[in-house]
Amino acid sequence: MRPSSALSRRLAAAATGLVLTTGLAACAGPQEAGDKAGSAANTDTAPRKGGTLTVLNNEAQSDFDPARLYTSGGGNVPSLVFRTLTTRNREAGAAGTEVVPDLATDTGRPNKDATEWTYTLKDGLKYEDGTPITSADVKYGIERSFAAELSGGAPYLRDWLIGGDTYQGPYKDPKGLASIVTPDPRTIVFKLRKPEGEFPFVATQTQFAPVPKAKDTGAKYEEHPVSSGPYKVVRNENDGERLVLERNEHWDPKTDEERKAYPDRIDVRSGLDEAVINQRLATSAGADSAAVTTDTNLGPAELAQIGSDKALAARVGTGHFGFTNYLAFNPEVKPFDNPKVRQAISYAINRTSVVNAAGGSALAEPATTFLPEKKAFGFEPYDHFPAGKTGDPAKAKQLLKEAGHPDGLKITLLHSTAQNRATSPEIATAVQEALAKAGITVELDGQEPNSFNEKRWSVKDAPGFFLSRWGADWPAGSAFLAPIFDGRQIVADGSNYNHAQLNDPAVNKEIDEISKLTDLKAAASRWGALDKKIGEQALDVPLFHPVYKRLVGKDVKNVVISDWTGVLDISQVAVK
Amino acid sequence: MTAVTGVPAPVAGTPATGAARQVGRRLRTRPAALVSAAVLLLLILLAAAAPLLAALTGQDPYAYHDDLVDSARGGVPYGAFGGASADHWLGVEPGTGRDLFVRLLYGARVSLLVAVGATALQVLIGLFVGLAAGLGNRWVDGLLGRITDVLVALPMLVLAIALTAVVPRGFPRPLLLILVIGFLGWAGTSRIVRAQTLALKNLDFVAAARLSGAGRWRTARRELLPSLAAPVLTYAAILLPANIVVEASLSFLGVGVTPPTPSWGQMLSTAQTWFRADPAYVLLPAGFLFVTVLAFTVLGDAVRTALDPREASRLRVGTAKETAR
Amino acid sequence: MTRYLLRRLAGAALVLLALSVLVYALFYVLPGDPARLACGERCNPAQIAQVRAQLGLEEGAFTQYLHFLQGIVAGRSYSTGTELVRCDAPCLGLSYQTDQQVTALILERLPATASLALGALVVWLLVGVGTGLLSALRRGGPTERILTAVTLAGTGTPVFILGLLLLMLVCAHLQWLPFPTYVPLGEDPEQWAWNMLLPWLTLGLFESAKYARLTRSSVLETLAEDHIRTFRAYGAAERTLVTRHALRGAVPPVLAVSAVDLGSMFGGALLTESLFGIPGLGRTLIEGVRRIDLPVVVGVTLVMGVFVVLAGVLADLLHAAADRRVVLA
Repeated sequence: MRPSSALSRRLAAAATGLVLTTGLAACAGPQEAGDKAGSAANTDTAPRKGGTLTVLNNEAQSDFDPARLYTSGGGNVPSLVFRTLTTRNREAGAAGTEVVPDLATDTGRPNKDATEWTYTLKDGLKYEDGTPITSADVKYGIERSFAAELSGGAPYLRDWLIGGDTYQGPYKDPKGLASIVTPDPRTIVFKLRKPEGEFPFVATQTQFAPVPKAKDTGAKYEEHPVSSGPYKVVRNENDGERLVLERNEHWDPKTDEERKAYPDRIDVRSGLDEAVINQRLATSAGADSAAVTTDTNLGPAELAQIGSDKALAARVGTGHFGFTNYLAFNPEVKPFDNPKVRQAISYAINRTSVVNAAGGSALAEPATTFLPEKKAFGFEPYDHFPAGKTGDPAKAKQLLKEAGHPDGLKITLLHSTAQNRATSPEIATAVQEALAKAGITVELDGQEPNSFNEKRWSVKDAPGFFLSRWGADWPAGSAFLAPIFDGRQIVADGSNYNHAQLNDPAVNKEIDEISKLTDLKAAASRWGALDKKIGEQALDVPLFHPVYKRLVGKDVKNVVISDWTGVLDISQVAVK
Repeated sequence: MTAVTGVPAPVAGTPATGAARQVGRRLRTRPAALVSAAVLLLLILLAAAAPLLAALTGQDPYAYHDDLVDSARGGVPYGAFGGASADHWLGVEPGTGRDLFVRLLYGARVSLLVAVGATALQVLIGLFVGLAAGLGNRWVDGLLGRITDVLVALPMLVLAIALTAVVPRGFPRPLLLILVIGFLGWAGTSRIVRAQTLALKNLDFVAAARLSGAGRWRTARRELLPSLAAPVLTYAAILLPANIVVEASLSFLGVGVTPPTPSWGQMLSTAQTWFRADPAYVLLPAGFLFVTVLAFTVLGDAVRTALDPREASRLRVGTAKETAR
Repeated sequence: MTRYLLRRLAGAALVLLALSVLVYALFYVLPGDPARLACGERCNPAQIAQVRAQLGLEEGAFTQYLHFLQGIVAGRSYSTGTELVRCDAPCLGLSYQTDQQVTALILERLPATASLALGALVVWLLVGVGTGLLSALRRGGPTERILTAVTLAGTGTPVFILGLLLLMLVCAHLQWLPFPTYVPLGEDPEQWAWNMLLPWLTLGLFESAKYARLTRSSVLETLAEDHIRTFRAYGAAERTLVTRHALRGAVPPVLAVSAVDLGSMFGGALLTESLFGIPGLGRTLIEGVRRIDLPVVVGVTLVMGVFVVLAGVLADLLHAAADRRVVLA
């Protein structure tokens, strides 16, 4: 195995800047409609109910508590057990980036300035024990996520809800959060500090799953969380390494338009080596013929091997998740305070080498914009410092000269030692090699993943130049641009993602203005324009957007890959 | 208390100068030993002359060749045998197109340096501790034995990560690897030396030296060391290739040499999944490693037999660290 | 004998104490903040502080170590924030990252590691001693050369490549065996054995060269001894000489080294366990290191210490039993 990638699930989630708890990431099946549409494995026969779906994973589903999971859109395996107020549209391609109702009857009704959101629960919703789901349970579930004992979730509720910044959770403060109101068992109202037009996206996260207070066992809840979805936990061993789900008889498909729930049983086996997982899926023998993975991508070697094998290639699913790998600058550190130095590096970069280091053109697409190339994010193409395919060292040298470094430059690049093809030594060396051609000597500073993350997320200790990456918590421009470029999101003594420490009143104001919009299409095009504008400052060098390719077993049907998650949706998969 | 390993029968000490010539003569009559020695010498020469050979082939171990790999197929080199050509004798590395021949040579430098350095350290500490334990009283012996236990049980990965965190960035990584592997891997040597020392201690010629008023360490140096040479050398021949594998494993775990520096271990660890798509990429470092292991073993065997005319190597082997498993 | 065992017991206590101090010390130079990691990626400073307090990381290093010792001797109580957990002696603490009791975690993981270690032992004894014996008998011939080369190839190939090659060959290409999935012995002994077969082979082959050489040299050494020569001179069959006498000479050193290897293997064979998805201590250790999970790392290290010491004692006893000249002091 490649132990370096067997980081803890939390670490994995942390490193990706989003949510790779086994929940989310899964990818296999056909190419989405937007791209050169591929045909899924066996989509020719209609999917039927029954059978056991095996999930072969690297990371254990350790934190199976809706309060602790950090997911984009509710996760993959978690979404089989936890229903949320809203959820992602389980359709392939761009349609899959939409928010749709789940427990609620609609995606939320905002007040005039989008500071208050009201939801009504559907009729006939029940837990696995047959008791009805109430709005108070949803409120309680959210309140739990404020407890430090159940930490791990996304920060949005803490930042957005009135009083969210100081609330300590229901164990210390049983009175609850006053900004969540439940006037009756089917209605729930959220009161926000400022307008948040994208609140429905956040309502897809597992924190919005109901938790019956009487069944709450605190830190132990993760061993057997009470299901509101189509499956319930029947076995949870070795801290989530083996998870067996079976049908929840009290789940009513009439109340759930999104989850298909074809298999009778889902057997999640984790702690497996990534190379072995891919080999098992390729061989597809025995129970593995009805297997998928929700966390293991194909690597370059495996891709090269599949290349000539048509039957195998037909079982590869391709997807795009909103994700950008980039070179980050900290302009507080010399010489990166000089825009010309940053521009020189932008010109010098050889994206062909970088893409090859990331696994080749099938696994990475060169990026010149910070926003991923999808409409939902508001993508607007730009290339302010055209480096071409392999870099423009001449232009870089000229800029360095103008910046007062006619004899070249010596700088240090911080990267991690994790073998993730993202912030890893391969990418760093490709950058080093390209910059050398422009007279920039790069010294590599490879750090063990924990210290790498702590360094790059620190306002005080962040070096001037490092590899970084960002993934979308939901498919919209705000989830991408606000944490990275909003000056008020510079976190002095926690995890800071505004690496450039940009605090530009004009940018801050535009972010506020767009957040007020509840028309997401209108918002998207303004995010795109904002990205283009910020890009002029050369505060980072976008390197590439990863492409996810994953195998499925040969009996796996109905593989649906949305642009939201970029990976196969396990709630749609059939094995019969 | 007894030795953990079997106590070999003592070997009579021979005067140093005559022994060397004698050993040399005996070795020359063994073709396998000669071939092994020649292979090792060649490897060392190749490693030493790496910059020269790099200049000869016109290749730089760090230069990328994006045009030589198929980006759409995971970066697999174009052409047969891992993209071998007149320019790139052994092909290129997948993903980067860096020249494999030159990288293997440069990799040999690091791998052999780390292996030899770590082995030397292991032998030195092992000799010292083993002699001290064998010659010291019961308490010294017991204490050293327990220290050995501690080091056998201490996880190498923990020490390696901790050390990489403490030493300054400019600290040469091969040296760090030598220290980590050397410091945790001397238990086998010390056990052999101790056992041998215990057995030799009471023999006539040693006892005589003691009686004639020679000090403990003087006795150790003059009388014991020559007799210890044979088993220790043989053991070193097994340790050395094992240390190359340990270096590979540490590389695989992310605490090997710093990129872009190549080492066989680093190459093997990145090559792991490639053996179907680009077999050459795996087979080359693995082949070099295997030839080295084989040569060291055969040569070690021969030296051992030559040192000890009474037939048969009394090889006593210790344990590899858990990190390599 | 009793005195010997008492001394070794005292020595063992010392070894474990030293090991725990060493790991605690090393831990403080390990990079990364466990509280921050435990809290989650986007925790705010207040939450991190709470988690830190809950993990007991606000106390001084020395106090923490004393609490750790206290836990081993007398047990401790922990708060997970939502409830109080009693951890009985010998309590190795709660994992920083999963809130599990480390003692329970280790007991849960030990069977898998033990399965792997014991099975691998059988393989290296069979393969190692077998090839060692054969190569001693066919000394200098082609058989010896081939056997030496094959066992050395096993040793000279890192486990992460050797194991994957075996998997590809046996499970993917030939499909003789399904891909291994760990099944506990208690659940289904037959499935347990089938699923452990490849891991045993991988680790056993990796270790066997050493044993082959050990056996070979011992056998040759014994065959060269005076009394064997006398037997041979009297016309005893070579086969009888080898099996009756020479092999007996190889038993003590092979057993001694095996015991030591086995001991350290109880700390887990991390590469093999990772490759084959065996939920053993080696993987627990590597995860513990990666997640800066001090209680887990200390716990696994101590288990390894216990088995190294036990193996040492066992080796001494076996050696004494095999060789009357050896006295246990």
